[in-house]
Amino acid sequence: MMQIPCPFCGPRNESEFFYGGPVRPSRPDPAAVNDEDWTAWLTQVPNPLGPVQEHWWHARGCGTWLTIWRDTRTHDVVEAPDDAG
Amino acid sequence: MPYDVTFTRLETQALFDLKGRREAVQEWAGEALPACPDQPNSKTEAGGATLMFIGPDHWLLRADLAREAALEATLRPAEAPPEMSIVRVSDTLAFFRVIGPEASEILAIACPMDLHESRFGPDTASFTEAFGIKALVTRCEGGFEVGVEQSFGPMMLDCLTRASC
Ligand SMILES: [Zn+2]
Repeated sequence: MMQIPCPFCGPRNESEFFYGGPVRPSRPDPAAVNDEDWTAWLTQVPNPLGPVQEHWWHARGCGTWLTIWRDTRTHDVVEAPDDAG
Repeated sequence: MPYDVTFTRLETQALFDLKGRREAVQEWAGEALPACPDQPNSKTEAGGATLMFIGPDHWLLRADLAREAALEATLRPAEAPPEMSIVRVSDTLAFFRVIGPEASEILAIACPMDLHESRFGPDTASFTEAFGIKALVTRCEGGFEVGVEQSFGPMMLDCLTRASC
């Protein structure tokens, strides 16, 4: 079980939240990017072994959308890596 | 062995959903409301009405059903300024009162939150889960009150019955 920190409610059980997917890089200008990078942005979902930034929705709580870093190896909520954008 | 609790479904409660910044809510409806609670997931009571701070810029006003018309006349939802919204939602939640020496045992089965008095005191009011569905949990004299979406009322009654026996 994960405890997810909600900025309004504090730490809450993961079952109160809905997963909102990983945070994706911002959308490139399709006219200014090459086909390979554009296709990569459209089709590749961040799936690292380690910290990943994710959206979660506190749907069964206060309704806040929040962003956390989660380590995919341990499910621990972790600090943003130093090289995070 | 059955738990020493009693639970009852309360009559429909007057409920108003208020969205907007604290200042806007207070300016429009301050005189009709208890003072806006300061802490997230807390409540204030005055004049038989309870105001709960249930989310960012989100408040829920609860009172006896007999006061619904008077509250609506004071809150004037249709005339509220554009920076806020007031909606009467009395029909949306079914409330259950769970009281008795072992009320907290039943809530511990139902709800993943730590409801110990040191963490969840008499002034607390929070949406969380009860038996896997979204629920508004508060303390009351001798136990807890749990509000769930109206259509889950029969399921809630069934879960409380099975958890307590
Ligand atoms: Zn929350």
